[in-house]
Amino acid sequence: MVKCFRRFFSIMFVVMIPCAHHAVFAEPSPSEADDITNPTYHSTVSEVRLVFFATDEHNHNVQELKKDDFAVIDNERVIRDFRGFTRSDTTNLNVVVLIDSSESVLPRLQTEITDAVQLISRSSSGPSDGLSVLSFSGLGTHVVCSEDCRDLPTPRILSLPRGGATPLFDALETAATLLAKRSRPDVWPVVILFSDGDDTISKISRREVLDKILSIGAQIYAVDVSGSGSPSNGSAVLQNLANDSGGRYLRISDGPSSILDHVMDDLHSARVVTYVYPGPDSDFHSIRILPSRNLNLKFHSRCGYYHDSRHIASQEKP
Amino acid sequence: MKRAFCLIVLLCSGPATLAAQTGIYQHGSIVRMHMGDCLLGQSGFMMAFGAPSTPAGQESCPEYTLISNSVVYVIVGRSSNQLIPLAETIDFRLHKNELVVRVDDARKESKFRIKEMIVRSEWDRVQRHIDEQMKAEEVREAQR
Repeated sequence: MVKCFRRFFSIMFVVMIPCAHHAVFAEPSPSEADDITNPTYHSTVSEVRLVFFATDEHNHNVQELKKDDFAVIDNERVIRDFRGFTRSDTTNLNVVVLIDSSESVLPRLQTEITDAVQLISRSSSGPSDGLSVLSFSGLGTHVVCSEDCRDLPTPRILSLPRGGATPLFDALETAATLLAKRSRPDVWPVVILFSDGDDTISKISRREVLDKILSIGAQIYAVDVSGSGSPSNGSAVLQNLANDSGGRYLRISDGPSSILDHVMDDLHSARVVTYVYPGPDSDFHSIRILPSRNLNLKFHSRCGYYHDSRHIASQEKP
Repeated sequence: MKRAFCLIVLLCSGPATLAAQTGIYQHGSIVRMHMGDCLLGQSGFMMAFGAPSTPAGQESCPEYTLISNSVVYVIVGRSSNQLIPLAETIDFRLHKNELVVRVDDARKESKFRIKEMIVRSEWDRVQRHIDEQMKAEEVREAQR
């Protein structure tokens, strides 16, 4: 037994001497020396980043919100363990105003245009990074003005093409492409959509356009211009687009100032929550934020995300 | 007078308060939630021949997985807006084949239908298996 131990220790001694020599006498290169003093640990963790805002039972923004006031449902899993929870540092807006000028809204187009003009003129005093104005009717989307439209002359809006079919989803796709071009982490991409929601001719489907909107993290503020107060298919489409993108559904009767106020309030009260990616059970992860205490709180966020490393990395924006 | 006052207080305090006082609540945690079918209420003859209470496919109801120390319950709400606050721990009790959840600090209770009951150890075993599969999938994805 003693012999065995002696043999083991002699072998260990022989092995350890060269290692110790290397550790004590080897000259570290400058970068190695740096590494020794400031060791860096590398680890790959997929993180989901979610921007949201909360409203109370009166539809007012909630300013005081704590980490344990809510839970995230990510593909059915309840997530309460968050890596981060902060106020959003987004301070600028990149807005695309989409005006439906198709046949179905012609009787109310004048009101729609007046509201859009007021909205654009009001946005000139706000912290807007970019403002584009598009209209859609007939077979296509028409760019009225791109990127800096804060001083857009009213006659240009009044002269936009009108009548024909309603390519709503195609127009939303064009808006998403415009927003994606000017995508920046500190800029909140927003689509303010004036429409009755009745798409009649788009090449792209609702699902496809929603995927594109979700991929750039844009929020849709859908302004229902349909005259009737009763629920319609178009209104339901607008509500779904607004809810699924984490925006709001509004009525034209709310007025242009109210629309912009909502956008600004949501921007200022937005929070960012991050958590570890819960696992690859599907490509698309549906998301819902629900209250953990006060059931009167309603949380507005995009309805999901696609899992792939490129996409998760690109979600460094609301 | 005093006796009448006590009686009124006793009657006014709802079943939730009574349950809280008698300490019959169990504790659990909601770990999963999704919107599923609401067609759990009717059974037997009514299910087969009666008119549906809600049109199929039109409304969805919240379905929760609630884990307690010994049993895991899958419970379903009666309507789309019957939500449970997703706090770390919730209080619940079993009452006439239903699971009653204490909502909003004992001010009210919410009744849920029980869809499934699984022994906790069995559920843990299945979850471990799922986790292992997902980890293997992650490794495969990383290697790609």
